[in-house]
Amino acid sequence: MKKVRVGAGSSGWPDFKDGALDVARNGDIDYMSFDHLAELTMAILQSQRAKDPNRGYIPEVLPLMRDLLPIWKEKDKHFRMANNGGGANPGKCADEVLKISQELNLGGIKIGVVTGDDIPLSKVDELRAQGLKFKNLDTGEEDIGRVRDRLLGAYAYTGADKIIEAYEQGANLVLTGRASDNSLYCGNFMHPLGWKFEDEYVDRIGMAVIVGHLLECSSWSAGTCSNLWEELEYPKGNPGFPIAEMDEDGGCIITKTPNSGGGIRVLTLKEHLVYEVHDPHNYLMPDGIADITTIKLEQIDKDVVRVSKLGDASRGKKRPDTLKFCLAYNDGYISEETTVISGPKVFKMAEKMEDFIYKRLDYLNLHPKEVLISLVGYNSLQGPTVPPPDPDHEPNELGFRAAFKCDTREEARACRTECGHLAWGCCGPGIGFTQPPAIRPVFALWPTLIPREAVVEQLEIKEG
Amino acid sequence: MAKKKIRLKDICWYRSGDKGDISNIGLMAKDEKAYEIIKKEVTPERIKAHFKGWVKGDIKIWPMDNLQALEIVMYEALGGGATKTLRIDQTGKSMGNALCWMEIEIDE
Repeated sequence: MKKVRVGAGSSGWPDFKDGALDVARNGDIDYMSFDHLAELTMAILQSQRAKDPNRGYIPEVLPLMRDLLPIWKEKDKHFRMANNGGGANPGKCADEVLKISQELNLGGIKIGVVTGDDIPLSKVDELRAQGLKFKNLDTGEEDIGRVRDRLLGAYAYTGADKIIEAYEQGANLVLTGRASDNSLYCGNFMHPLGWKFEDEYVDRIGMAVIVGHLLECSSWSAGTCSNLWEELEYPKGNPGFPIAEMDEDGGCIITKTPNSGGGIRVLTLKEHLVYEVHDPHNYLMPDGIADITTIKLEQIDKDVVRVSKLGDASRGKKRPDTLKFCLAYNDGYISEETTVISGPKVFKMAEKMEDFIYKRLDYLNLHPKEVLISLVGYNSLQGPTVPPPDPDHEPNELGFRAAFKCDTREEARACRTECGHLAWGCCGPGIGFTQPPAIRPVFALWPTLIPREAVVEQLEIKEG
Repeated sequence: MAKKKIRLKDICWYRSGDKGDISNIGLMAKDEKAYEIIKKEVTPERIKAHFKGWVKGDIKIWPMDNLQALEIVMYEALGGGATKTLRIDQTGKSMGNALCWMEIEIDE
């Protein structure tokens, strides 16, 4: 039976480079998928490109490819790669990879460059004029009109179509813009196994969506974000990245290289299956709608888990007619500062500091839109769910963190300086400073849908 | 039958994440019996009470029998979402940990 082995190469910006190199060298793989983009990343990259036409892609793609491409050459250029680190500038990213290929004397590489995910605001206006309102999927707000003047950029999460087309044209590496993380995997399963966007393949594409989901956070499904973290072993500190071996009928095993750390267990995969799926019967991705409740997991060997079909129901449905569409808009500025305060009596000290800060905001006529005071070491992550402190067992130190959201950078700075930074002198004796993070502009996201046909993708093949 | 109090962490694993201002928690039972308990005891009302104002919107729960897990989706739950929130945990990775402290009563 025909099978294909697809390895995870990256799940963010940045990720463990050695994990990707290990998969390429020891994973016996046919394809690799590299996701570099989080929800917010595209908005950052678009603003970089606006300032400098040579920027706007993920810079880490270049050192990664410099180390990885020699392994690819050693493997007789066998495996193919899909990578969304092209971000807001895949063409420029491809030019730089071609330069690296020439420097390393790789004897030629063919790169597919996929664009069209980046939707100009003029096109957004055109679609609005045709009656599209872009309802906010998060808040239910019907019309994007309220934030139109503050929009910074817009991008659609694209599917596997152009990745597959690039492979058909012989591409060794496909560099995309905001291709969905999941599609970097779906394309890598669909191309070699000959699956098409047709009715007879929806069950198997559903499986590709599910397995793509399992792999797309790289080392996480092999233990780094697991409830088993304490017991899994990392003898050399080298996290394993997952590898999927999919057969043409849509049966699959997940494994990793033997010398990497972590583990592939039913639980490490289950933990990832339940991650960010929402309605498990309708896990919406650009290439298909998967039903996560239609599969079962079985440990069949050390670090080998079989993922197979459970029951007769289809694992997938036809892909949606719309694509996820994110618009970024400016929504003020955030500043923060953390002071580490020392016991005894840390909670009393902190309470007094909080009171002091609110009084001072008032006194100085500062009006942040939001203030959050939290205590690192007590409630900064779990908020009000944390039970009241036990007066007999107080921690000896706490981070006192004050965060402010303001309309302007100036006000955000004033809040931080006057009420955050200066708090170091207002907490009784015994403190430690920390360097506050830079004041950051808030790129708020407006998640919505766009008709598939409104997103026109282009493929260009670059060779060198 | 006599009842005893336990916390979800005693019988479950957890993993949480985000999409915008929506937090999701995958609550995975450690065994079949635990799954039956959480299906009955972990309700939107109780979760909302546990989060005491950190979760402002609706809560939906999907049981997943094949994984002995609950997929819990909480709206308006992250202080505005990753890019807007003032919380340190911008992407709600600790929301599962926070839920695991929730107390439930089970038969002794």
